[in-house]
Amino acid sequence: MASESTGAAFTRRGFLGLAGGVAATTLLAACSGGSGGSGGGGSSKPLKFWNMPWGNTEFNKLDKKITLAYKPKSGLPSATYQEIQWANFTQTFSSAVASNTGPAVSSGGGTQAFQFAHQGKIAYADSLLDSWKSNGIYDDFLEGLLETMKTDDGYAAVPYNLDVRCSWYNKTLLSQAGVDVPTSWDEYKQVCAALKKNGVYGFGLGSGAGNFTGSHILTAFMINNGGGLFNKKKEPDCVTSENEEAMEYVLELVKNGYSDPAAATYTSANVQSQWKAKKFGYGWDGAGLAASVGGDVATDMVVGDPLTSPSGKKGGIYFPNNIMMYKNTPSQKGSEAFLTYYYKNMSKLWTQKTGIGLPPLKSIADTSVLKADPVTVKILKDWNPIYGTWAAPGGKGLFYNIANTVDGTQPMINFAQSILGGKTDAKTALTTLQNAIEGLMK
Amino acid sequence: MSTESVAGALKKARNGVGVAGSGRSPSSGKRNRAMSHTWTFLLFAIPSLLLLVLLNLYPVIYAGWQSLRNGDLIDAGAFVGFTNYVDVVQQPGFWHAAVFTLVFTVVGVFGSWAAGLGLGLLLRTKIPAGGLWKVLLLLPWVVPTVVSATSWNWLVATPQSPLPELAKALGFGNVLFLADPLLAQITVCVFKVWISFPFMMMMMSSALASVDTTVYEASKVDGAGTWQTFRQITLPMISRTTYVSWILMTIFCVNDFPTIFLLTGGGPVNATQSLVVLAYQTVFQNYQVGPGVAIAFLMTIVLVIISVLLYRQIRKVNIE
Repeated sequence: MASESTGAAFTRRGFLGLAGGVAATTLLAACSGGSGGSGGGGSSKPLKFWNMPWGNTEFNKLDKKITLAYKPKSGLPSATYQEIQWANFTQTFSSAVASNTGPAVSSGGGTQAFQFAHQGKIAYADSLLDSWKSNGIYDDFLEGLLETMKTDDGYAAVPYNLDVRCSWYNKTLLSQAGVDVPTSWDEYKQVCAALKKNGVYGFGLGSGAGNFTGSHILTAFMINNGGGLFNKKKEPDCVTSENEEAMEYVLELVKNGYSDPAAATYTSANVQSQWKAKKFGYGWDGAGLAASVGGDVATDMVVGDPLTSPSGKKGGIYFPNNIMMYKNTPSQKGSEAFLTYYYKNMSKLWTQKTGIGLPPLKSIADTSVLKADPVTVKILKDWNPIYGTWAAPGGKGLFYNIANTVDGTQPMINFAQSILGGKTDAKTALTTLQNAIEGLMK
Repeated sequence: MSTESVAGALKKARNGVGVAGSGRSPSSGKRNRAMSHTWTFLLFAIPSLLLLVLLNLYPVIYAGWQSLRNGDLIDAGAFVGFTNYVDVVQQPGFWHAAVFTLVFTVVGVFGSWAAGLGLGLLLRTKIPAGGLWKVLLLLPWVVPTVVSATSWNWLVATPQSPLPELAKALGFGNVLFLADPLLAQITVCVFKVWISFPFMMMMMSSALASVDTTVYEASKVDGAGTWQTFRQITLPMISRTTYVSWILMTIFCVNDFPTIFLLTGGGPVNATQSLVVLAYQTVFQNYQVGPGVAIAFLMTIVLVIISVLLYRQIRKVNIE
């Protein structure tokens, strides 16, 4: 007799068995640990490349095209592409890496590679960089850039694009105030005073919700004065004479009314609206500020000169964003081969103006498109040589405790807000910061 | 039947014994069938129970386990017992956040309740285009918090924003709604009331609609004034819904992350940092998972206690 599918055939026992099976499958799926890492052999399993939205809407489209055009050599895996949003990206990467379902190669937060390296999840890039010495990519990196990725155990990542902090001014407002572009801290103070007479702020920045620029700029002033947050032993060393002098100077700017009194709580959008409203005549931000402000004001906005501090030094801070390789890969050789291909073909991301940060390679910076951009030219020529990292003054190479204690952490935000609030003194604020950083290192 | 025998019969009935006497016990076949049904129901419930355990209980147990360890987002770390809990409660930042959470919750619950009840009462009167007003008044609740926070930021953030300009025009000088710690706290609380009052308005409107109008007519006949009617009739009649809405709003306020985080990020200098914001920042900005989860657990315990107390109040109302 042919079987018939009837309601009666779907027995109670059958239903219970099916339901139990589904539940058991769910349980097993939830508890399974993923495939785990693999060594250097070949694999037919494609490697996962995760990249962030580094530019405008065209960026990831072009980036995906470049990735999917990769034709691996025989025995090496092809690459798949996944765009990861900035919203909750820490959670996205952490949970994926912890469950071994993460990418083989990715970009991400600027200090993410150093965190994952500390947890033993990163495949160091030393052999990749060695291989790049013969094909010219190694020597193509901007001066000192590779050094920022070097840890005691090897290169945690490869520089990808630069997020920089520099000064900006509105040339019309400076002209109306009758002052020239400052080149020293003293001159800068005079510029601020002149702008104030016209109801314009000269120390324009923000440190509100989701805006970490305030803490970046204060650190940049410390580096400018020969200071910074970490010593050569990679220990926090905030309460130094250089840092105190720098923060006293900033507090003077704040207390003299050269800073917007609400700056401590300004989001990036607030900062941009103040530039647009011509309330900021001189300030500090990233390379993309003018593009973000837009409109007529953008054409008046010019990147300023690095300032010379009382110590006679110049300095600033940049954040080399990077691409990292993970131990959890179908093939380490495959990861390296893919990155070699990617770095040889990624120049279009800059030449087609997708909005990505400054390029890490001299060959890209030397293209006619980038040479025609005055912001890029100015930053690479005048600012790039003087940039330090979070590791300053002890060194340039980033490390685990930077990611863990200062990069976007609450103590840094509190520090910036207390200084920009103007109701503290340099030593108290720096001591509080020092204690908080030490607390996070425990 | 005497009163005593009626009471006795009722007692027997409650105990499952027939009024006429104990009678014969159910046959073993019937009992077996009943048992079989119970097991069937239980077996049917198992898949759902399993899913419930997986989706709810497992994360809670895992989080509890994390709070007893010193790990990070990837590595669980070593077992440290209740050290995280002890460390957390010894930090002044925790108590500052706890006090602000309390203030935020009290203002959020009672501010939105007062506004919601007021508007609920107003909307019961015959006002022109009442339906339209109801829809418009619901907007703060309906609009995503991200959008509301952006709008409020535009309203108050810079000295050129509309509200600071208005304050200046009224002679209050340069009012820094977000940059001044006290004003930032007030602004965040007002923002919470603004976002929440439509929910309260809905709850109170439905409670008010369920009150029998004859009660009001009777009180009118008895000569009760407006205030007396409100205090002696309206409030008691809607008390059950009021307590339920207070419990819900307390939970909403204590767990409210976006309202604060999007408007102030917990600043300036932690002035508007609530416990849930502190827990988030501890885990995801400072990468201290154990202490962050410990904060969340402490918060949950307090929330459960408050909810139980309010539920008891509801039961009291029911009994009365």
